[in-house]
Amino acid sequence: MNKAFKQVIPAGHIHIKNNVLEKGNLTGISESTDLWARDLNLPRQAEYTLFAGCGYQQMKYVEGMMGALKSADKMGMGMGKVVGISKAFSKVGIDLTNMTAKITASKDDPYTPVLVSSVSVLRKLGIEPGYLHENEPCCGSPMYYAGFENDYAKTARENYERFTSAGVKKIIGIVPACTSALKNGYPKYIEGFDLEVYHILEVVARLMKEKGARATIEENIKVTYHDPCQLSRYMEITEEPREILKCIEGVELVEPDEEEIGRWSTCCGGGNMEATHPELSERMGIRRFEALKATGASMIVTNCPACEMQLSHTAKKVDENLKVVDIMHLLDVALQ
Amino acid sequence: MSDPDLQQLEKEITDNVQRCWKCRMCVAMCPTYEGWFTQSATGRLMAINLYIKHGLGDEKTLSNILYSCATCRRCQVRCRELSTDCHPADTILKARQYLVRKAEFEEGKKS
Repeated sequence: MNKAFKQVIPAGHIHIKNNVLEKGNLTGISESTDLWARDLNLPRQAEYTLFAGCGYQQMKYVEGMMGALKSADKMGMGMGKVVGISKAFSKVGIDLTNMTAKITASKDDPYTPVLVSSVSVLRKLGIEPGYLHENEPCCGSPMYYAGFENDYAKTARENYERFTSAGVKKIIGIVPACTSALKNGYPKYIEGFDLEVYHILEVVARLMKEKGARATIEENIKVTYHDPCQLSRYMEITEEPREILKCIEGVELVEPDEEEIGRWSTCCGGGNMEATHPELSERMGIRRFEALKATGASMIVTNCPACEMQLSHTAKKVDENLKVVDIMHLLDVALQ
Repeated sequence: MSDPDLQQLEKEITDNVQRCWKCRMCVAMCPTYEGWFTQSATGRLMAINLYIKHGLGDEKTLSNILYSCATCRRCQVRCRELSTDCHPADTILKARQYLVRKAEFEEGKKS
């Protein structure tokens, strides 16, 4: 890759693209991604197949990677140099991102429980999901948002073949960005795309209504809901999470004014941006967090690994009493 | 000489930008907006339009402007409802593809 190319495309994006193309996951880590499911005995084939996505599976490493990039940026090293240094190391056989990510990874990974909760919620509602285990590919959507359309189209076609050869018909996605890529992105590049893709909130909301499922929590709490962009505007899922929250007894939903919720909700600045514009992303996080805090809620509920990471980081800086929780986790605790 | 794919992208981008009325309804919608015009959908569209049509601006600045978009699509929803429906967020993504394609093309020309 020549110099002009590197100047135009942010180094963070090139780094992530190479990880996806060479290692088949977001962070380029070689540890297997299906560790979270080891005690769950998920079948390889079932009516619905779970697509867990890199987001939750590798969140602790993503956090480590972003943290390393950010702190180096503050020291004045610049994103390009950090990635450059790690490239130089990897040429002599030392994988620096692997190392820093492993060192900085939080021990009690707070995000994979979301996957376990999601499976448990689905089981409680009568669906036994399948899971491809180590065969599950990375959806490649970060490449699309970075502008690498050809690579994304190639990944999409490969993944589609992998799904069809594994006998997958219906997919339940958990990470919003991956689900949106599978649902709306892939059909553009694949003729005769015939997979049915649902987001877990759609499935859960439908099942809860059908079964009249009851959920209660012991203590009364006020919660507010943060709509992830990919859910509210790319897939237009804004009613379902609110219906679910209203179904839980003991939960009171308080929200910012209408211009801040549903499809008008503001972006929290998480995701792709964190790699390229860390400071702007931080300010956006604070702006969104303050708006949510002003509702007087004691808990922010959301359903996206990037939003959860960004908001809980902001919470550490602004107000530690405001907890950030995934909706699946809350529902798993509340469902009987 | 130019790549046919690049020409196609150029056409798609400038066509979409032409449909923008510059009503600036998207400016207040943009979560990245902090006072600079290029921190909004219409500002980003105008920057890529000037670059394609008149070669104005350098690529590094343009890249910074385009990649600072959060691709949250808030502008697009507002545009669809109130204005001309020029798909600002999708066009910004197309502009990123244009930058990548152009860099790849120039790289191929050199080697």
